[in-house]
Amino acid sequence: MRDTWTEILAESLRGAGQRLSAVAPRLLAMLTLILLGLAAAWLARRLTVRLLRLARFDQSSSRWGLTAGLARLGVRQTPAVLAGEAVFWMVFLVGLLLGIEALEVPTATGLVTMALWFLPNVLVATVVMVAGWLLANFLSQAALIGAVNAQVAGAPLIAFAVRWLVLIFAGGAALTQLGIAREMVLLAFGIAFGGTVLALAVAFGLGAKELAREILESRLRKRDEDQDPVSHV
Amino acid sequence: MQGIPFVSFVDFVVNNPDQGRRGVEGRVAERVALEGQAVARASGSVDVLVGIPALNQARSVGHVVERVAAGLAKQRDRGRAAIVVVDAGSRDRTPEAVPQTAEGGLRPQVVRLSQASRGRALLATLAGARQASVRACAIVDAGLESVSPEGLERLLTPVLAGEADYVSPTYSHPASEGTLTTNLLAPMARALFGKRLRQVVGHCLALSPAMAARAFSSMDGETEVAERAVEVWLPLEAMASGSRVVEADQGRKVMDPGLTPPDLATTLVQVLGPFFGLLGRYRGVWMEGAGHSLPLPHRGAAPALLPPAAGVQVERMIKAFRLGLKDLAPLWEEILPEETLQQLYPLGLLAADEFRFPPDTWAEAVYAFAGAYHERRLPRDHLIRSLTPLYLGRTAAFLLEARETTPERLGELLEQVSCAFEAAAEHLRARWR
Repeated sequence: MRDTWTEILAESLRGAGQRLSAVAPRLLAMLTLILLGLAAAWLARRLTVRLLRLARFDQSSSRWGLTAGLARLGVRQTPAVLAGEAVFWMVFLVGLLLGIEALEVPTATGLVTMALWFLPNVLVATVVMVAGWLLANFLSQAALIGAVNAQVAGAPLIAFAVRWLVLIFAGGAALTQLGIAREMVLLAFGIAFGGTVLALAVAFGLGAKELAREILESRLRKRDEDQDPVSHV
Repeated sequence: MQGIPFVSFVDFVVNNPDQGRRGVEGRVAERVALEGQAVARASGSVDVLVGIPALNQARSVGHVVERVAAGLAKQRDRGRAAIVVVDAGSRDRTPEAVPQTAEGGLRPQVVRLSQASRGRALLATLAGARQASVRACAIVDAGLESVSPEGLERLLTPVLAGEADYVSPTYSHPASEGTLTTNLLAPMARALFGKRLRQVVGHCLALSPAMAARAFSSMDGETEVAERAVEVWLPLEAMASGSRVVEADQGRKVMDPGLTPPDLATTLVQVLGPFFGLLGRYRGVWMEGAGHSLPLPHRGAAPALLPPAAGVQVERMIKAFRLGLKDLAPLWEEILPEETLQQLYPLGLLAADEFRFPPDTWAEAVYAFAGAYHERRLPRDHLIRSLTPLYLGRTAAFLLEARETTPERLGELLEQVSCAFEAAAEHLRARWR
């Protein structure tokens, strides 16, 4: 009885040892790849931040309104550091996927190829979204100030509409770039964008008669102002 | 008016073979130098050059040239003089409206620039004055219909007599005219540079060749910026460099605005943008503290501030201020300090006839905007445009006070504004540090 038990135990341990010896090199390779990915990511982050600072990216971002926009969202890091973080996680993700693939698990095969194929699209989509967000902020701010200076009531509503039209447009472009349900996105975008424009036009013409009148009046007032005896300079 | 001897730049500037190899700044500086050469060539060898920068001012340029010629004819004993109209690409046939001969047998010359910019015309005139080796140069805007022979004489005399490097005009005007100058530009310049210059943007001036050369060397490498800012740059350079600045009475100012006068927000961008921008360049001067400001030597009768003109719609200005306070508050929160905002909010609740905007709150707000401009808190164009409702609020309060004040005490109102700017100047210095 005891001999049988000992044999079974030894057999199990031998089996485990054999399996472990078969997997160990792969595990080691995975760990090495992940560590290398981590080191490369760290280096890439430092390099990115340094290059962006040399190119005065933070100052430019401040000028474009990116820093103020981030501050409004509660993000305290500078845009250069944020870009560095993005590069870090991208490189680390590649290292991680390479490591997982090194395990030669059937379900993980081809992960890296897929990720590397998808990565440029993600990058382009991110750039489109950031640019769209900046443009939305800029244009909505310009619309707000312009409407207030023209003494149009409801200026924040106009600014809100401008911001979301640009954001919807940028979102649609980013999703198309990612290839996510392209036809559906195009259709949804067309309906949403066209619908919004139509809704705004109808709302402006029917629901916001007062606002329309205000705008027209302020236009006419502008002509009167030319006769105003106040000169500024 | 056909057959005027135009000196065209389009031909010999456009095909410059070196353009491709130089930066934008190099190209602009080079073109301005060439344009200056054309102005100098058009004027010939003279003692006094009067440059008349023009842009779409066909209605007034002929009249201005005649008045300038009459002024120069009166001063014939001071040497030879020339009038050069520098047209910055007008679309209303301004060059054709220049008379071929004027009083005293003077033959005004026209130099046409390819660039449609009033600043560029002024810069070219300045470059011409430097290259023509004149004893004095006056620059008179082609829209300044009120220019008089006596006024021109008062502008030129201090320079010709070697008593001034820069002569700035002063005007008698109702309180409702020049409110940006009286409530912002002049008090802020006085607080920061310690000189009580009454007209920062004056539409006419005179300067010595030394001053023209100094202005150009200070613009070195920034000609493109100078093109947009030259009208503000010249007086600030004169004050900051310690040049001898004199003021000269020009009577009442009457301006022809040209084809399309800009709206108020654009006017603020055109004037305040360069003004705030140049503060960075001259920070070495004003950061030290100007001390007690001093009046400048003045030629002619002291300018009078008259009661506001009838028909000023103050209520509309107050409405614009209230709307700004309601809708632009999120933007102003990024620009103005909390204490200033707390002082502004109650002003929105005041009835129109009781409306007030204290000068100290106004001065603090303007300095905060200047600081935010320097720090680029918002896109600069947006930042200055968002000042419009605040400026209208302050103008409304100033005009209401001016209506209630006797004509003899109107000057005190301006003095209060200037004192408020002097008292609050430390805020800007602290913020800049």
